[in-house]
Amino acid sequence: MRFLDKLRLRLRSLFQRAQVEAELAAELGFHLDQQIAENLAAGMSAQEARRAALRAFGGVTQIQERCREMRGNRWLEQLFQDLGYALRALRRSPVFALVAVLSLALGIGANTAIFSLIDALLLRTLPVRDPARLVAVGDPARVSSLSSGSVRNDLFSCPLYEQIRDQNQVFTGVFASGRTGKLTVGIAPSSDATETARGRLVSGNYFSLLGVNAVRGRTFTAQEDRGSGATPLVVISHAYWQRRFAGDDAIIGRRITLNGYPFTIIGVAPPEFFGDIVGVATELWIPLSMQAQVNPGRAYKDRWDVGWLLLMGRLKPGVSLARARAEINVLFPRILAERAGSSFSRDLLPSSDRMRVEVTPGSAGFSLLRHEFSQPLFTLMAIVALVLVVACANVANLLLERATARQKEVAVRLALGAGPARLIRQLLTESVLLSGLGGALGLLFSLWAGTALLRLVGASTSTALDLHPDPLVLAFTAGISILTGLVFGMAPAFRATRVELAPTLKESARSVAGSGSGARWPLGKLLVVAQFAVSLLLLMGAGLFVRTLQNLQRLDLGYARDSLLLVNVDPVAAGYKGARLETFPRELAERLHALPGVTAVSFSENGIFSGTESSTTVRIQGFKSQPAGDPSLNYDRVGADYFQTTGIPLVKGRDFGPRDGVGAPRVAVVNETLAKQYFASGDPLGKRLVITGPPDVEYEIVGVARDVRDHDLRAAVPSRFYIPLLQSGDLDVAPNFEIRAREPAALVEPVRKSIQAYDRNLPMREIRPLTTMIDDSITNERIIAKLSAIFGLLALLLAALGLYGVISYTIARRVNEIGIRMALGARRTTVLWMVLRETLLLALAGIALGVPAALGAARAVASRLFGLSASDPATLATATGVLILVALLAGVIPGSRATRVDPVQALRYE
Amino acid sequence: MGKPNDLVQGTLDLLILKTISLEPMHGWALAKRIQQISQDVLRVQQGSLYPALHRLEQQAWITAHWSETETGRKAKVYSLTRAGRVQLEKELANWDRLSRAINLVAGLA
Repeated sequence: MRFLDKLRLRLRSLFQRAQVEAELAAELGFHLDQQIAENLAAGMSAQEARRAALRAFGGVTQIQERCREMRGNRWLEQLFQDLGYALRALRRSPVFALVAVLSLALGIGANTAIFSLIDALLLRTLPVRDPARLVAVGDPARVSSLSSGSVRNDLFSCPLYEQIRDQNQVFTGVFASGRTGKLTVGIAPSSDATETARGRLVSGNYFSLLGVNAVRGRTFTAQEDRGSGATPLVVISHAYWQRRFAGDDAIIGRRITLNGYPFTIIGVAPPEFFGDIVGVATELWIPLSMQAQVNPGRAYKDRWDVGWLLLMGRLKPGVSLARARAEINVLFPRILAERAGSSFSRDLLPSSDRMRVEVTPGSAGFSLLRHEFSQPLFTLMAIVALVLVVACANVANLLLERATARQKEVAVRLALGAGPARLIRQLLTESVLLSGLGGALGLLFSLWAGTALLRLVGASTSTALDLHPDPLVLAFTAGISILTGLVFGMAPAFRATRVELAPTLKESARSVAGSGSGARWPLGKLLVVAQFAVSLLLLMGAGLFVRTLQNLQRLDLGYARDSLLLVNVDPVAAGYKGARLETFPRELAERLHALPGVTAVSFSENGIFSGTESSTTVRIQGFKSQPAGDPSLNYDRVGADYFQTTGIPLVKGRDFGPRDGVGAPRVAVVNETLAKQYFASGDPLGKRLVITGPPDVEYEIVGVARDVRDHDLRAAVPSRFYIPLLQSGDLDVAPNFEIRAREPAALVEPVRKSIQAYDRNLPMREIRPLTTMIDDSITNERIIAKLSAIFGLLALLLAALGLYGVISYTIARRVNEIGIRMALGARRTTVLWMVLRETLLLALAGIALGVPAALGAARAVASRLFGLSASDPATLATATGVLILVALLAGVIPGSRATRVDPVQALRYE
Repeated sequence: MGKPNDLVQGTLDLLILKTISLEPMHGWALAKRIQQISQDVLRVQQGSLYPALHRLEQQAWITAHWSETETGRKAKVYSLTRAGRVQLEKELANWDRLSRAINLVAGLA
């Protein structure tokens, strides 16, 4: 009741203000009249009675104001008043409002866009039950990796997963999820054999442990873990259900084929659930037990030496992350020690320095994207924050000018009794209104920018990040909007209210404009200097990133980067076996070679810039291994004419040829680094290299190839050797074909048709020119270079606007002086120089401050640079030059206007 | 306005609530009554009653309505609410405790 009464009173004073005010006046009036009547009755004169009554009562206006303050929502009323006033003030100067709001919108929008990416990738938790209790086991970035040949600490095999799941004491449960590889989907009646979907192989407890329930049908249970190939069931995502099945109600029980094997749909996941991987929305979930059916020809579910699963556990109540980490790190080596020798060969054990298992908070899921992009995102966040600072400085400068123009108005209001605090509050309301408008516009801008950014990140990958502004993003935008409003509004507001009343009211606003500042460096100029300093920093950064990208793109790789086309083909998945696997690569290579425009074709297991690498331990003739063991070297298994096709020059010896087939003497080619490292003095040709077994296999070195960058642009070229694929025994691979042609991009379709003509069922991955693949390997660098350049120029533009404004304004103030000078015979060039000198002085001051800041900041990003130092003089010189040039441009326009001042008019102007 | 008001703030609330609890009245009558009862000891500036009245009204301890006086003028008349009565009890108890404490200290001297 009492609450309702209070509310009624508050609403009344808000919405029936006029009546409430009238009542207040009437109430106090009644009191005074009564007192006057009493005084009159006591024999005073009318005038005396009134004066005595007022004296006894106290100041009527003050008491009225105090009564108003007693209304609970006085501040709200004042806020509405201030907002109304601010809106009217902004409407009176639309150009100012537009420029201010737009520059703030750009600044805030850029910040919001980057922040929403950070939020989606790093901060947001999975939409599952109690995500805070989830713990990731293994390297959360290895979401679609497959590694064979050893037991690993970052990626787990299925038997190892089962041991960890059953033996640990810290989790209520542990689920596993792993890659499916390419997943071709057959949905009757469609006959499109190339339709693919993003799938994930998961353990039976996946959904129950995450606390995700099906919206149609059911999810998996422990039942689905039993037996291999016994449960061809699939749960589909809500989005996939809507997109591919148009939300068909009869979805449960529908049959589809995955890589040719028939499956039955048993459930639909809820709309918000995108799986356990952030950045790639999963469309199909398949039980782990179906691994062999999903990857035909490659059954590895029961193998200890194939790592392909990431694990996620849910902590038992009261168990901390630290305890879970400790337990898993005791459990992991113990399980391996128990099983080594019986379940798998001791040779497969990870080395002792690889026994630590990463155990991290799992609330944000697994993500490769997070691993790749968090660092660049933070760099970008710093960049856009600086852009916002420049934008703020601009608006502050605009406000300062306005404050000067409004000095008279402020003086009048102060004289009429407005408190300075109240005035400051009102001016701040105005600036927060500006930044609020800027923030709202910026939010719209960020929705567009965020999507554009994503497209930049993953044009070729199927990146799916939810960039819907969630409450955190909205709070962020609102927060920086209000903060910027206060930051850029504070100084001008204080400046505005520090007015000497008498002179301001007497004289014209313009002639006192300088008073109060009077200093050689008034605030406006200091702001411009700061803008230039920050702009220099941003330009320097942009220059470094752009040149890094150029260096990477122009890097001499040592082979024919521009004339290679690559395609990955999987004969095993197509059911090829034995002798067929032996003949297949050469048959297909010959067929591709016959295409017009193709000059050479070869193949290799790992390809070039494909993201896969192999390594093995070797013994080298004449080289004494360290006690720790034989060296582990990178190698690739390649086809005939590999070096001729790829253009990797041979320094010595010969290329592989058709004669190096099965049964022929085993041969190898080593790269220069390997030759230098292991045969320092002697000639490697004719020496032996042994891939350690069991069984050991010996190769004779027949060639030395030039060091080339074929997997990584930045890292130093490691020791590497090449052996013929056909001689290596294990043919169970999906080879990459390297096709050499003058115009590789033009051959994509002919190559596709040719492969399909060879065998319609042969699965192939995207056919891509090497240049595209190399570009993909430096996505990060391209994004950073592009965006830092855009933001650097944006900051420069804002700084130029700021400078232009300040110079125009000083000239307007000095129009008298210029008139006098010209009347006394000053030449136009003298006047122009006078203006330009001031411009240059500001720019140089900015540069002087900016250079050390830029050098400091550059050192922080030194690790991201390539081919130039963080203090690269050419880049610094260019940035400085651009800055001076822009400053001169910004000064020339108002300067030339100054030279056209007519002395007579200027002198009359006062 | 001045500091003394802060001193008597609590007391002023008590005086207003107590006085109004006897019978509903308008501000002028209230001022007169307080002056009378306190035999001119408490010289409350008349005007400062009003902010206090408005505050108590906002707290919903007193409520106001407009009624006609004998002279035919409209006056804002305040009366105590149920919540106000509770508040008055509280204030009285407080005052009682305070004055007893002060008496105790004063008696010691």
